[in-house]
Amino acid sequence: MAFTAPKESYAGKVYSVTIGTGDKAATIGGENVLSFHSFEGETPNRPLVAFEIQDVPPTDWPENVRKVFDGVSDDPVKWAKYCQDELKAKAIALRLVGTHPDRENRSAEDAAKTVREVLAAISVPLIILGSNHAEKDSSVLIAAAEAAKDKNCIIGKAQEANYKTIAAAAMANNHKLIAMSELDINLSKQLNILITQMGFDKERIITDPMCSALGYGLEYTYSVMERIRLAALTQNDQTMQQPLLADVGMYVWKVKESQAPESDLPQWGAAEERGILWEAETATALLIAGAELLIMRHPRAAAAVESVIEELV
Amino acid sequence: MALSGVEIFKLLPKTNCKKCGQPTCLAFAMKLAQRQATLDLCPDVSEEAKQKLGEASAPPVRPITLGSGDKAVKMGEETVLFRHDKKFVNPCVFALEVKDTLSEADIAAFCNQVVDSEMDRVGQKLRVNAIMISNESGDAAKLEAAAKTVAAKAAGVPVIINTTNAQAAETAVKLFADKKPLLFGANASNLEAMAAVAKSNKASLGISAASLEELSELTEKAKGFGVEDLVLDSGARKAKDMIEHNTLVRRAAIKKNFKPLGFPVISFAQRGDSLLEALVASVCIAKYSSIVVLSSIEKWKNLALFTLRQNIYTDPQVPMQVEQKIYNIGDPKADAPLFVTTNFSLTYFIVSGEIENSKVSCRLAVMDSEGLSVLTAWAAGKFTATKIAAFIQESGIDKEMATKELIIPGYVAILSGSIEEKLPGWKITVGPREANAIPAFLKSRA
Amino acid sequence: MLIIGEKLSIIAKRVREAMMAKDKGPIQEIATRQWKEGSGIIDANIGPAEDGGEDLMQWMVTTIQEVVPLPVCLDTTNFSAIEAGLKVHNNQWGKALINSTSNDPERFPILELGAKYNCDVIGLTVGNRGLPADADERAAIAAEIMGRAMEYGLPLENLYLDPLVLQIATTQDQARHVIEAVKLFQHINEPPMKTVVGLSNISNGCPKALRPILNKHLFVLLMDAGLTAAIADAKEMAEVMEEKQLILDVYHGKEIEDKQKMSEIKKTLDVILGNTLYAHSYLEM
Repeated sequence: MAFTAPKESYAGKVYSVTIGTGDKAATIGGENVLSFHSFEGETPNRPLVAFEIQDVPPTDWPENVRKVFDGVSDDPVKWAKYCQDELKAKAIALRLVGTHPDRENRSAEDAAKTVREVLAAISVPLIILGSNHAEKDSSVLIAAAEAAKDKNCIIGKAQEANYKTIAAAAMANNHKLIAMSELDINLSKQLNILITQMGFDKERIITDPMCSALGYGLEYTYSVMERIRLAALTQNDQTMQQPLLADVGMYVWKVKESQAPESDLPQWGAAEERGILWEAETATALLIAGAELLIMRHPRAAAAVESVIEELV
Repeated sequence: MALSGVEIFKLLPKTNCKKCGQPTCLAFAMKLAQRQATLDLCPDVSEEAKQKLGEASAPPVRPITLGSGDKAVKMGEETVLFRHDKKFVNPCVFALEVKDTLSEADIAAFCNQVVDSEMDRVGQKLRVNAIMISNESGDAAKLEAAAKTVAAKAAGVPVIINTTNAQAAETAVKLFADKKPLLFGANASNLEAMAAVAKSNKASLGISAASLEELSELTEKAKGFGVEDLVLDSGARKAKDMIEHNTLVRRAAIKKNFKPLGFPVISFAQRGDSLLEALVASVCIAKYSSIVVLSSIEKWKNLALFTLRQNIYTDPQVPMQVEQKIYNIGDPKADAPLFVTTNFSLTYFIVSGEIENSKVSCRLAVMDSEGLSVLTAWAAGKFTATKIAAFIQESGIDKEMATKELIIPGYVAILSGSIEEKLPGWKITVGPREANAIPAFLKSRA
Repeated sequence: MLIIGEKLSIIAKRVREAMMAKDKGPIQEIATRQWKEGSGIIDANIGPAEDGGEDLMQWMVTTIQEVVPLPVCLDTTNFSAIEAGLKVHNNQWGKALINSTSNDPERFPILELGAKYNCDVIGLTVGNRGLPADADERAAIAAEIMGRAMEYGLPLENLYLDPLVLQIATTQDQARHVIEAVKLFQHINEPPMKTVVGLSNISNGCPKALRPILNKHLFVLLMDAGLTAAIADAKEMAEVMEEKQLILDVYHGKEIEDKQKMSEIKKTLDVILGNTLYAHSYLEM
């Protein structure tokens, strides 16, 4: 019996999405096969790793990832420049967590100011994230989108409860938009439909099916991503052909495995290495499942993921 | 594809004679499909049926056992390409490579690490499953010595002997002759000799080739030499090539029923940097490797790799469950609200996520409801007033609370009166139906 | 096709309140309406009914049968409530139906009840370890239940196999497996096994306007597959008869005159058969 390679070709294709401006602009997506399946189709762009920074000091991050940014994380501009210049970040994700009403409750104007300052300091693409408070995000992200007008940022996250205002702001100011739903492929499709029904270009959306950390529901995110990608490719479903986002750092650096000290749990081994691997491995699994855009915290985890991407392309 | 019970049933005589020990032919067919019975138990089966069943009943990826005794591990038997379609069957084996150029003390230390690697996670015992002894020295005596050390220091741990030298293989494999080792290192130039060693020692045989075409030819030849239990190495060493080759092998076996590649795959993840090695191993776990060879097994690395393997090999049809207990979210004080929900892991992740999002410290009582979501569990009688009341009572949580108040999911508002009756002194509050309304709900109480 | 009227369910607010208050009015009104709409059995779903289930089921059975000459489907997980209901069931109008047993050992005693009272039993093809992945797994479980039924002395003609319809909004792939299972179930015995589904669960969680559309299309596909009975809205199912031919024509690739109708049918069939991914707005795409 002679072997013939059972290669697949698909009807559909993932949209190419470019973010940022100038020579540091980055493009993700564009493939017409499953992740890293370059042996049977086109995979023109590498996945992009964005470094997460915040508008307020990361007091809620565990020590092992917080300490890396000591001396810069008290100021988002310093922090952003450090990521770009020292850590060679190819994109920055600014999370405006300080605007959450139960945190510092920073105003939309303050958030817009931070966005302007960070944008002035960096040349790599910027992702602007709210505090995940549906109501507050509406006003904060409108102000942030205006402050970043024409910088071709990604604004997020638009959810079922607030997509109208956020999508309108992204549209008016020429940004891309993250559409997020909670681990439900059908609701993810529905949200993309609703956003495009407003007149928003479907090729300017990034889909976030919601991340989950290794050991804490990762298999759900993994399978939802895989199914979204298969719907895009095999069914040529135009509402599911957006690049996928994995917002890894935020989910990983709150689980026990990423922070419990070795003295408490000797069988789990060195805490620092464990936390870094937890983030990098969550990211790697989701890359295989289909993620093109990763938001990460620990520079060593991000560097390790870059190395494995280097082996995969 | 293997035949289903119903397809087998159609080939049976349908006499319901009970001579096979089963009440009906159908029941017998189902047993055959699950390989809990063999066809010779049926006295009336036709020759035609026998032939058809024999051909088709072989699974697309041959089941192979590595090792013997309670540490033996099964590989193969996979039926799908994507985990959401059906459960990935046999979790991949992690094997630590031990080179025969190491000192006896170093080899013994590696053995101890493997033996000590076992840990519990979500009720499962997880471990580094095997040791690969590599004939790095090229010297048969050194390989034998290393194998002896492993046999003594890691007794019972399944073994892979890695050499291309048939004479060296013979002496080392012999040490594990009745323990189902894997002899790895057959290739185009040594296949016949290696197959003979594997055959006489009842070992499985790992075959390396430079391409999938060559590999398909070699496995057919090996079968010709009388070795059926084979493990595939396509020569892929870079992660990109592993994805390509493993995907093509799995597709050929499952979608084309291509027998020459219907075997488990071995992948080599060893890298100079342990962190990168773990990530390459992660790619192997997700993409169809049955054996993943590692060069180091630090505890932090094991925990992460075991967890990913468990996540990927979870049955998508069986809801993942979290442990029944009262979870603290944030730093709950005596006046912190107490929620109750079911132990379907997704329910737990989303409810706890929304509580975190609200920035209000709370307690979340997660009740064993066999992994069903709230409404389903209620309808199935697993999330009832009696059971909720008993769980809260037995938890003794009231001792830590200033006011005895329990917030129940809005979907089971109907239970509030009944729980109140069964939990004297408690106030039952009906919470939101959907988790995403929890932050607003908590805010309205503040 | 036997329709088991689904409307007397504790999930519905009006029914629940009537059950709690033991108010016969609404129960009898709904039972009568379902009978007139063509139901052959009236489902009495009292939920898990931990407290006072026996009384409640007896009250439901007698309340229904006071006004409607039909058998009742006893729908609860409470074993003694079922037995209590069977004791007062008027078999003059036909055999009672129990909903349900399954391959979960906890549910086997239901078969004993079925044999003891000579009634029909629904066998839900699930085990106690998660949901069946496809039609084959359902058939394997069906075989186990059938073997168990014979063990307990319940004749196979008293057994209705239920492949378990799941929500299309969350488990879309299962719809086609259910259709396939209904076909398979008929092959595993001679004479063919009877089959039943809880139809409306397909559209549970979908927007209100979509629910009858999905219910009806699935119903036609299941009818085409040889389904014996359905727990459903009798009114909706009576309406199906007008559209049945159109749906089947589109299913078999024929053109129909009304292009808008054709598009609605095609999109709905594609969603049920898993050719396109479901979303609440699928008809607008």
